[in-house]
Amino acid sequence: MILPHRPLRIATAAILSLAIAALIASVLWAIFAAATSAVAPSRIDIPHLLRMTTLQAGLTTGLSLIVGIALAWSLNRLRFPGRDLVVGLFAAAIVTPGMVVAFGLLSIWGRNGWINQALNAVFGVTVESPAYGLGGILLAHVILDGAFAARILLARLDAIPANRLKVGQSLALSAGQRFRLIDWPALRGSLPGLGAIIFLLAFTSFPIVLLLGGGPANQTLEVAIYSAVRLDFDLIGAVRLALTQMAVCAAVIVLASAFTAVPTALGRSAQPTWSDSRFARALQGLVLALSVLGFALPLIWVLVDGVVGGFGRVVAQPSFWQATATSIGIGAASAVLTLLLALVLALGRAAAANSVARTLLGVPAYAYLAVPAVVLSLGFFLLVRNVGLPLGAVSPIVVICANSLLALPFAMATLAPPLDAIVRTKGKLLRSLNMSGWAQFARIEYPLLGRDIGLMLALSFCFSLGDLGVIALFGTQDFQTLPLLMYRALGSYRNNDAAAIAAILLIGTIVAFVGLPRLIERLAHAPRQ
Amino acid sequence: MVKSFSLALAVLVAGFSGAGYAQDKPTLTAYTYDGFAAEWGPGPLLKAGFEATCNCTLNWVAADSSIGTLRRVQLEGATTEADVLVGLDTAIAGEARATGLFADHGLTLTGLDLPEDWSDSQFVPFDYSHFAFMHDTDTMPVPPKNFEELISLPEDVKIVIQDPRSATPGLGLLLWVKAAYGDRAPEIWAGLKPHILTITREWSESYSLFLEGEADMVLSYTTSPAYHIFDEDDHTIKAALFNEGHFPQIEVAGILKSSDQPELAAQFLAYLASPEGQKAIPTTNWMFPVVDLGADLDPSFADLPQPTKTLTLSEEDIIANSGAWIDEMLAAVQ
Repeated sequence: MILPHRPLRIATAAILSLAIAALIASVLWAIFAAATSAVAPSRIDIPHLLRMTTLQAGLTTGLSLIVGIALAWSLNRLRFPGRDLVVGLFAAAIVTPGMVVAFGLLSIWGRNGWINQALNAVFGVTVESPAYGLGGILLAHVILDGAFAARILLARLDAIPANRLKVGQSLALSAGQRFRLIDWPALRGSLPGLGAIIFLLAFTSFPIVLLLGGGPANQTLEVAIYSAVRLDFDLIGAVRLALTQMAVCAAVIVLASAFTAVPTALGRSAQPTWSDSRFARALQGLVLALSVLGFALPLIWVLVDGVVGGFGRVVAQPSFWQATATSIGIGAASAVLTLLLALVLALGRAAAANSVARTLLGVPAYAYLAVPAVVLSLGFFLLVRNVGLPLGAVSPIVVICANSLLALPFAMATLAPPLDAIVRTKGKLLRSLNMSGWAQFARIEYPLLGRDIGLMLALSFCFSLGDLGVIALFGTQDFQTLPLLMYRALGSYRNNDAAAIAAILLIGTIVAFVGLPRLIERLAHAPRQ
Repeated sequence: MVKSFSLALAVLVAGFSGAGYAQDKPTLTAYTYDGFAAEWGPGPLLKAGFEATCNCTLNWVAADSSIGTLRRVQLEGATTEADVLVGLDTAIAGEARATGLFADHGLTLTGLDLPEDWSDSQFVPFDYSHFAFMHDTDTMPVPPKNFEELISLPEDVKIVIQDPRSATPGLGLLLWVKAAYGDRAPEIWAGLKPHILTITREWSESYSLFLEGEADMVLSYTTSPAYHIFDEDDHTIKAALFNEGHFPQIEVAGILKSSDQPELAAQFLAYLASPEGQKAIPTTNWMFPVVDLGADLDPSFADLPQPTKTLTLSEEDIIANSGAWIDEMLAAVQ
């Protein structure tokens, strides 16, 4: 494998990786330094929590990937009115505040959900709700992460070049053969990165685990860290737990990076002329129908509930419009910053031939996801104070940076596989043309990546739009985002207001997911002067 | 030339030093939890009311929770901007006192109307309510009358409670069970376990579960029904009174030793506990005022059933044992 020689790309990515690692280290150090007196040792059963959390995260990852592949496969083959909207809705789940998704889920699957209400009306019986305990956590996580996986994998399937499909069709491949020969090679490059992200998300999941977990038996390490910081004020214990969590997560990331295979498919998807057998089509229809029931209904309920609820009262509040403007501004700034960071890292990774170098360039981007939100915001808070900056003035900057870093793994999972595929499939051509690095990006990578960049921008914009972790410590009365406003409304009995804000957030998210990829693709393929 | 240069420098310095010094009005900075400072909370009303009399500026700085405000001043130590902390409660007042960050308020509080006598030299009470389980009269017309009756209900009667490590009502329930049952507390928790649908991080999540009909009862406050009466004209949500008695939550405010405005801070606390300041509290924070407001108390509060017996635990007892009690409870419901 001979890659184009790009030392500058590798160097820039290495510097950025080091900077991120240094930031994480200084956040932890700031907390460690602030811990003045030793308090009573934490009363936390770490091995038990680790076991529980790993089991839950492992199950979530496996299930989500299976669901994601099945769903992406169905969506790639089927064409129907409203398909874009469904795809947008699936992508929306992951970036919607976890609480909103959890309540949407309960409205369908809960003790008093639609399913039980229907059963009660028709048969006069109700069933035990599956929405609580480990089953409930897995259900909620698979809805979030499975739908997200489907969205990312669909982008890979849609990028299979039309000529490859033509050849496959002329060979009369069955649905199973096509999946093995054409789809799987296109998907497999994304699976390790996706799997790592889903594992990290599930491992550090907090609101959902607490809402649906049923109690302390199903808790994560993140809960213990929160309690060490808030209840015991045991900062040293919190750092120790955070390091434990990061070590486990880092092991998973390194493992995932080691297994990363390079996808082979790349191109622009034409309308598929592929026709599967009747049985395969029926199966695809069934998968889609079940997914819409499982994934889309909870979110649709959020929309309906919000519009029926306190919509009028919310839009009459000046603070709502202020929060909307703040959210959009922070989301846009985070999205651009994430794009820059992800491009630098992903281009550097793609240019590196050595697998150790590739891992080192990838790990810091993911590692950030493993830092507990409470530790993160506390560390940032202390850093800002230690430097002596006024908290009010730098809050927006801290929130933008933190949100960008949180969205970075998602951005990497979106951009790294196609960039890898470009240099590996077109590396010879690039070398023979003796192209400069800039020309390679402007003429080859950017045009081919238009849709992926759009998806990534949408992801990080919405990620920031729905973030509740960092803003919670840096928000004030004058600086609040929509999720924070929603949370504050919930804390003051104003559930209708909160429902309306949740619906508005969701609408914004779907619009971003449907619109941005198309927009950027159009820009990327605009005729050049 | 030199003159104009130094003038420019002076302008620059003035610009950097912020608008705070340009005003001759003193500024009072109050840390509180975000529900208190929110647009619909008591914060804006108290700010307007106090600023009308004090010739000063009152700034609310909102943290995500009351314990969050305390942790923040602990981290900031003597360099904190906060002059007063508004919104601690009696369950964590002991821990706050032990930090040594709080000064005596020096006020003589008269006319207080609280479930217990108040003689605290550092903290001033500004509202209170009792912890209680809510029920909906449409689905549960007859609520249980005590913990033991709740435990003996069929297993499909579910309650939602909060984690004592992250939510003040969660800690409140723990202290309530402890105050009512002492050494029998683990037994009560073990009995409650089958009825616990889930244990949430925050009060708001659990209350939402109750409103969605996911649970039959939720741990909240005896004043919670007032919101539904006042805002939605809904009279179906009621607090179940237990004959063991109820544990109160009294919210308090305190002055920080590091404050550069101690007189102004004391003046604010006096205003906060005065009838004038108290009028802002009930229909914004949904708690009882600490003085008798008479006809000024909104009618939605007038008919709320009140516990006849208030349970208490000493501050020393709470500080010394709350960790062990939390472990005891978690082990029993695990």
